[in-house]
This record gives sequence, structure tokens and C-alpha cells, in this order.
Amino acid sequence: MTEAAAETGAEAEPAGGAPATRHLARWTVGAALGLTLVVTFLLTGRSPAQADGDLVAEGRQLYLVGCVSCHGTQGQGVKDAGDNERGPSLEEAGEAAAYYYLSTGRMPLGNPDEQPHRKDPAYDEHDIAALVAYVGSLGDGPALPAVDLDGASLSRGGKVFRANCQACHSASGSGGALSYGRAAPALSKAEPEQVAGAVRAGPGQMPVFGPSTISDEQLDDLVTYVEYLKAPEDPGGVPLGRIGPVPEGFVAWFVGVTALLACVFWIGTRSPIRRRKRS
Amino acid sequence: MSKQTPPLPKVTPSAKAKAASSRTATFKGARWVDDRLGGAKFARTALNKVFPDHWSFMIGELSLYSFVVLLLTGVYLTFFFDASSEKVIYDGSYAALRGVEMTHAYKSSLDLSFDVRAGLLMRQIHHWAALLFLATMVVHLARVFFTGAFRKPRELNWMVGCTLLILAIFNGFAGYSLLDDQLSGTGLRIAYSIALSIPLVGTWVTSLLFGGEFPGPDIIERLYVIHILLIPAAITVLLGVHLFIIVRQKHTQFPGPGRREDNVVGERVFPTYAAKAIGLFFLTVSVLCLLGGLVQINPIWIYGPFDPAEVSAASQPDWYMGWLDGALRIMPGWEVRLFGFELPNPFFPAVLLAGATFGLLYAWPFLEARHARPRHPPPRRPAPPAAGAHRPGRRHHRLLQHLLPGRRRRRALHHVRPVGELGAVDVPVRAVHPAAHRGVGDLPALQGAVGPRRLAHRQQGALAGDPGPAAPRARQGPRRPPRRRTARRGRRRRTGRHRRRLSPTGTDAQLEQVGWMRQRLRRVPAKRATRSPGSRRSSPTSTWCSQLVTSTV
Amino acid sequence: MSDLEHDEPEHDEQERSGPPPTASAEVLAAACFLVAALAAIGLGVVYWQGGQTQLEGLMLAVATGGIGVGIVVWAKRFMPHDEVTEERESLASTQEEIDDFRSAFEHGEQSVVGRRLLLGSAGAALTALGAALLFPIRSLGPRPGKGLKETAYSRAKGRAGGVRLVRADNSPLKPEDLAVDGVLTVFPEDHTDDADSPTLVIRTRSNQKLDLAEGRDAWVVDGIIAYSKLCTHVGCPVGLYQAGEGKLLCPCHQSTFNVLEGAKPIFGPAARPLPQLPLGVDDDGYLIATDDFSSPVGPGFWDRDR
Repeated sequence: MTEAAAETGAEAEPAGGAPATRHLARWTVGAALGLTLVVTFLLTGRSPAQADGDLVAEGRQLYLVGCVSCHGTQGQGVKDAGDNERGPSLEEAGEAAAYYYLSTGRMPLGNPDEQPHRKDPAYDEHDIAALVAYVGSLGDGPALPAVDLDGASLSRGGKVFRANCQACHSASGSGGALSYGRAAPALSKAEPEQVAGAVRAGPGQMPVFGPSTISDEQLDDLVTYVEYLKAPEDPGGVPLGRIGPVPEGFVAWFVGVTALLACVFWIGTRSPIRRRKRS
Repeated sequence: MSKQTPPLPKVTPSAKAKAASSRTATFKGARWVDDRLGGAKFARTALNKVFPDHWSFMIGELSLYSFVVLLLTGVYLTFFFDASSEKVIYDGSYAALRGVEMTHAYKSSLDLSFDVRAGLLMRQIHHWAALLFLATMVVHLARVFFTGAFRKPRELNWMVGCTLLILAIFNGFAGYSLLDDQLSGTGLRIAYSIALSIPLVGTWVTSLLFGGEFPGPDIIERLYVIHILLIPAAITVLLGVHLFIIVRQKHTQFPGPGRREDNVVGERVFPTYAAKAIGLFFLTVSVLCLLGGLVQINPIWIYGPFDPAEVSAASQPDWYMGWLDGALRIMPGWEVRLFGFELPNPFFPAVLLAGATFGLLYAWPFLEARHARPRHPPPRRPAPPAAGAHRPGRRHHRLLQHLLPGRRRRRALHHVRPVGELGAVDVPVRAVHPAAHRGVGDLPALQGAVGPRRLAHRQQGALAGDPGPAAPRARQGPRRPPRRRTARRGRRRRTGRHRRRLSPTGTDAQLEQVGWMRQRLRRVPAKRATRSPGSRRSSPTSTWCSQLVTSTV
Repeated sequence: MSDLEHDEPEHDEQERSGPPPTASAEVLAAACFLVAALAAIGLGVVYWQGGQTQLEGLMLAVATGGIGVGIVVWAKRFMPHDEVTEERESLASTQEEIDDFRSAFEHGEQSVVGRRLLLGSAGAALTALGAALLFPIRSLGPRPGKGLKETAYSRAKGRAGGVRLVRADNSPLKPEDLAVDGVLTVFPEDHTDDADSPTLVIRTRSNQKLDLAEGRDAWVVDGIIAYSKLCTHVGCPVGLYQAGEGKLLCPCHQSTFNVLEGAKPIFGPAARPLPQLPLGVDDDGYLIATDDFSSPVGPGFWDRDR
């Protein structure tokens, strides 16, 4: 597992660099890029073994401060008095899940009953890397996949997206409602590594898509398509959120019908006329 | 042409002469046609047709012009659209779908959007026009409904209009389904399942319509014929019938000075009304072009080609199907089994409810004529004309009463609808009302159904429409006089008061009841009216009664 | 037309004073027309330069809008606003007209109604012809047969190797290919385009207890359970798997199914559980279906149970 972490770091370098040149203009969260680069630098700047040992140890320290109350001292999870899960076991979570949760700010969570939402990460890049390494060392959960957008196919990615992702995240990646108040998040802020991590780890209600369901190449394609969906072509004009007929209907009524009725009202209202009484 | 209309003050003799000389060729042409068809009399009648001028009477035209835009843009689209469910690999200019297998229908829609110049503009105008065609139809329907213009003798035209609405909904759905993208394919699948749910014949209906099990080999091709030929032809014919009946029956009008049950007061078709209509046509096209050019609609390239195994979150139909989709959603998970046969769940909301909704719409004029009677005494009575008729707020409120089907105590009571007091009916009317520059209300039953009370009410309406001494000054401005604001406030205040009065207890209400019943008994001697205490009450009624007598004579 | 000039019998002039046709109004209307003309030319230029949807739409809107505004201003300011009154003639015919019609009709009616034999036989011929013309409609589609109740998995019945489950690219699938909490859409081998056979295979967690109907526990392989992807409501693909709770949600009408309890509907309009597919593993270790779905897939219909 520890070698995997180092390898991930080593391979992640082009992942940060390549999109930087290719997609910089499209990225709405510039900081995300920097984060990836810094993580990459920190991980690759040392020898694998040293990085490993240091990071895992450092991660454990951070873990014991920030995570232990819900996930237990060894990441085994914690149950409260009523045998309800306070925090799930992290033994099978793997780096993918840890990276997804920490880098999107979904963890740490103040109140364990709350549904996690994206917010600013509580840890800096280095601490996240340390925690990811530590959680990855707990069991054989999915590693953080390396994302290489060079040579990835946009249209194949679209196929993968439509087959596996759009049911929850909608065809335009704008998210959607699930049952019982849950919701699939919009993908507009998801960075490539976070998308890849989520696919492999299946955070929350999301299913897990292993390498034999979505291969590593397909994952690269998919991430490319998700990147594209952040700012797709809108040849038609104002996109209205690209979420289908409901906003279109609203525009039809509140803009279209209003404008047409205004025309009718202007035309049909009389110019001032002096009206004489009939005698 | 202006010669036959009364001479206008501004047309100088020289201009007239100039016009006459330039018209020689026109006259020749017209004479040529007339020698063969003899249309002059008809044409002249047409030009002189009187159209009551109220802005709300032009809403139907919006639908008509949207339909014209639909035909024009639709014809353009047919030159590029390929209605075929044969599969092909996309190789067009939209990178995110290159190499994806799809039907010719979807591919040609993509080509239309990305590779045909002005193709996307036409497609989007077409789609916006479809949405607005239906939206303006609904507004038009609401106008007709809330002004009671569906009543005798207009039941036939009401039903023609309902048929047009249904046809437009079906055609909109057919067009939306043609593109064979993921969203429309999902919609088509739902439509298939709804048809499948019909008892006894469902499986046959779907098999014949789709050419087999869903998705069927021919559905795109068949929908295409339905969408561009069958339903548009039916709509065109029915539009003709709709307009013919309007011309034959003459338009309804709101009450006002000089307006009676047996006349139409308004502008001639030529030239002013015709020019306004043409202007409205261009403005409608303009709004549709603006939407079509600037606001993206139905981005099928995001949805991808239809695959029966895939679906997107938040799959929804266009707005006019929303009520049906919503009904499907809120239906509890019930199914009925009878003797081993099944009445599937979608049958109830999508077939029965839809059938009942439109059945009720069709039957409404007859149901209302037969069953409706006033449930409440008239909410309030007007002030005596001398004191209150010219007060702007009062006037507006009285006009409002004409519009509210359940509140019109001064119209024939057998036309009052029981739902009239519901807020749901009230609200849209209020939205319409203050804009009415003159009388509001209408002549729902123009001929044969004119009761004496109605005539009295017309008379009253004439008084109400009289702007009074303050009016000429206020009307000099190009727009609405500023006192309208005051008028509105007055109306609101009064509305509040009237609501309190609806309370069934208390002397006030009882007295209302007395006045109301007196009205119901058509031929109440005027002297009985004076028994009601308070001048507010007695004098208008007696005025009406005397007017009633005089006007029936 | 000039001879009609003085002939205005049914019109009663009330007033004819219009608004003052001012010069500024004329300038305004003319300006509108000119702007429209410019926009139309602009539209041509934009198109010629390669086209741009937004600009084209804008130009078209300005062109038509300019014409519209110009005409309306023209109509409002320079055309007569005389309010005229037209009488409504009675729509219903007079008794005399009705009587005329009636006698004319009855005159002809004799020769029609009187010939009972001819009338009856002609009616029979027309009815038969009408009925006969309905037959071509039958050509529009096949007789709805077993197709609605069967899928391509029915080949598995009584076959030792069953029918392999394949991905969309027709590649077979082993149980270990599916991660815990994983979900995948599969098809019967060689039938990946069938609209009625998309199937969801879901691998549940070891701690998620399956509560299936009797005899169906054997239909599960390594915690992998397979259901039809088509909603029993109106046939939308039930695409949303909430892995944490083991729930399947249909995005069309929000029917929710509990995967752990035989996909029985727990919310929404669907009334029946998703049909389950009996799973097995063949000699090569690939997932197979050992039989067709437990019930007809997709939406209900009249004789579904027959």
C-alpha cells in the first residue's frame, strides 16, 4: 500500500501538469491546480520510502487529532450507545476515498448526522497528503488513481458518463435529487483527481466503479468529459443551466409570454382619444 | 381604400389625388379578379368588419402567429432533418460525440445544430415557437374562460379551440420525440407505456403505432409524418374553422358606452386593425427570434443519443406535458387486478385524468349552462350613479364584477358559476383587470339569451364606462392617465370590504340577500326596492328596474 | 370601389378624432423601418461571414421587431381610430328560412327514404367498405405476442450454460469484476441493443442482509443480485443506485425500490417490484442467467398476468 502511495505521487505529476496547459482557461477553481502541483511536489521531492514513513506517521498524528472521535483509534469506526454508526470504518476506504473526502472539504464533519457537503478543505495540501497516506495504510481500499488526460478521448468519456454517471449527476453534470432528501452533487467544482477518487471509492450513496467496471483508460476519458462539462459548448446562447425543459418552460412563460403580452397590450391599448358622449 | 372609410381630417385633397393615380394598376387587377369571381362586395364587407378593440382580444392572434412561425421554420428544418432510425457513426463537428453510434435522426439534428448555417437558429426558434404557441393558447383559453366567452352561442368554437389545444400538445410531443436524443427517447418510452396501459387494446395500440415492441423499428418515421403532415394539416383546418366561426358570430365585447347585446363597437379591420395585426405578427416573430437566437433550448448534444438502457437524472418533458408527468409522479403505487387482468398504474393519471380533464374542458359550457347557479348573494351593491359612478375606484371595482363569473350579480344569473367565489378564479382576473382601459366584462351570450336584467346591466355598464367630467383632461396623455393608481388602490380597499361582507351572518348580509333575491325575481316592482334601508342600496336598484322596463320595451 | 363610398348602412359613426399624427411619430416609425432594414442587411452579412447564431437571432429579431414597431406606430398615430358600430344580425335562421329548408329537404327526402331496399343495401355496402378499409391498419405492426412477456434471457431456460451476462460491448463478466457497492448495466449475450433486457447487477455488502422471496436466495452469486433495469411504472431505466442504503431510484417519477428486499417498491408510483434475474456462474467462471426474469419486465399492461 505504501509503495502505491508513492507511485501515485510519482505518476500524478503529469496529471497536474497536463491539464494545466490544456484546460487552464476552463478551470473555475484555480487553486485546485496549485493544490495538485504542491501535493505532487511534496510527494516526489523525497525518496519513496522516506516520504512514506514520514507521511504515514504524520498522517496518524493528524488523524488522532481530527478524525479519531468518529472513526476510532485504528480507523475501525465508532458506534454510539444505540448501536448506530457514528463514523464508518476506514479500513476499506483507501486513499481514493480519503482524498475525495478531505480535498473536497466534506471531512472532517462537525456533526456526524449531517450530510457532508463540499466546502473549503480544513487541511492544507501537505496535511491532506499525510492523512491520505495514513488512511491508505489502514487496509486494502482503492488507491487514488492516477489521472492522465493526455490522449484521453472526449467522446468515449461521454459514453462512459452517460452509461454510468448521468443517472444521478444528470447529463450536464449538474447533479440531481436522490431519494429521502439526498442529492447527487453537481460536478462543476470537481477536480480530476476528486472525480477519479469518487469513481473508485464510491463515497456516500455513490456506487463503487472498480477497474473492471470502468477501466483506467475509461476513467481518464470520463474525467476529460467531466472537465468538458464544466464549460461545454453553448452554441445556442444562454444555457439556462442545461438542465432541461423546466427552466425553458419558465423562460417561455415569464419572458416569452410576458413579452408577447406586453406587445399585445401596447398595440391593443388605445392611443388617447377624446371620446364624446353619444347624444 | 381610404376613400370608403369616412374622410379623415388629415388627408389632404392632393394626397388623395396622388393615391388615386397610383392605384390605377391595382384597380385594374382588382377588376380583373372581380369580373371572374365578383369579390368586391365580400372584400368590402371584410374590410369594414368591426373588431372590438381590447388588448386581450389579440391574445389568440399570438398563437396564430406562433403557428405561422412554426410552419415557416418547420419547413426549413425538413430540408435538413433525416427521420430515420438507421444507425450511423457520427463524424460531424461536435467533438464530444465524434465516433458515437446514433440514428440518422439524431445525427441530422446535430448537423442541423452545428454544421448547417442558421440551422440552430431555426431549430431553436421552432422550439421556442412551439412552447409559446401552447403558452399563448393557454392564456387565450384563460381569457375566454374567465370572460365567459365560451357561453352560448360560442360553445362550438370553444370545442374547436379545445381540439386545437390537444392537437398542439400532441404535435409538440411528437416534434420533441423526433430528435431521438436521450431525453426525448425517455419521453417516448413513457408515452409508449401510457398507451400500453390502456385496458384491452393497449398492447395492440402500441404495436400498431410503434410497429412492434418499444422502441419499434418505425416510430421515428411515423412520428415524422404525424408531426409534419397529419397534425399540422388538422391544426390548419381547425384554425380556419375557428376563425370562420369568430367572423360569423362576431367578436364578444366588454360593456361600454353605446355597446349593446345586438351590436359590435370597435375599429374597422381596414386599415387600422389590419395594420395592428400585421405589426403584432412581426413583433411575435421578433420575440421568437430573440429567444431562438439568444436562449439555448433543448441542447440535445448534451443529452446524447437515445439508448434504452440509459437515463439522466431530472428527465422532464416540455412544460405543456408537465401536468401529466406530475400526475404520473404523485399517483400512489396502486394497480387494479380484475379477473386476472390488470389495470396498470399509469392508466389512472395519464389516461383517465387526462381524459377527464379534457372531457371537462369540452363539456364546461354545457355543464355550466345546465348546473351553475349563484351560491352567494351579490357581494356588494353599487353606489347610486350620481354619487359613486364617476369615482374611479368604484368604477373599476364594478367593472371587475363583470369579469368575475360568480360575482356578476348584474348579469343574467343563470350564467353565474359556482366556482366564482374561489380565489383561484379571482386571482388571474385581478391580474387582467386593471389593464382594461374601458369596460371590463363581456357579452357572453350575445343573442337569444338576452334577459331584461342583462339589458339593465348594459345600461349600467354604459354609465360605468362613462369617464365623467374629469376624464378628458386625464386622457390627453399618450398613456394611461395617472389617476389609475388611485383607482387601483380604491379597488383593493373595496375588495377587502366586500370580502367581509360575504359573511353569511349579520344584517348587512341579510339585506344583501334581499336585494339579490329581488334581482333574481326578474320583474320586481321598482317601489319594493325603496324598502331597503340606506340610499346606497335602494336607489341603484330602482334605477335599474326603471331602466329594465325602458330597455325591454 | 368608389361606388361603395357613400354606402355605410350598418355602421354608425360615433367619433373619428384620432391622436394627432405628429412629425416626431412619423420620424419614429420611419426610423424603426430603417433600423429594420439595416438589421436585415446585417443578418445577410453575418450569414455570409460564416454565421453566428446569437447575432443572426438578434438581427432577425431587430429586423422583424423594427417592422412591427413601425407598423404599429403608423397604425396608432396615422390611421383612423373612428369607433364604428356594427349591428349583430341574428345568427339563428328565421322560421321562414327554416321552413323553406325543411320543405326543400323533405321534397328530396322522399326519393331517399322511400327506397328501403336501396337504402339498406347501400348502407350495408358502405359499412362493409368502411370495415374493410380498417384492415390495412393491421399492417402497421405485428400482433402483440409473447414479446412483452419475454426477453432474450428466455433462451437460458433448460440450457446448461444459461445465457451469459455481458457489458454494453458484449464482453462477459465475472463475479469478481464487480466491486462491493458496485453496479453495472448488463445485457444478455449478443442482445446488447434490446430495449427490454437491460439488467442491473449489484454487489451488495456482506453486512447487508438480503431478504428475498422464497427460493430466490439461490439466484444470488457472491452477494451479486440482478434486477431488470426497467421501472415497473412506465419503463424508465432505474438508473440511480444509492449504494449506502441499497435503494434504486427511478429518475423519471421517483419510484424507489429496495434492492435488499427483492426490489420491492417503497416509494413512488411503481406498484410492482423489479423483476429479478436468476444468476449463476458457468464453467468458465462468468456470470450467467439461468432463466428469464421472474416476471414480465417494464410497465404493466392488460393481460400481463395471463
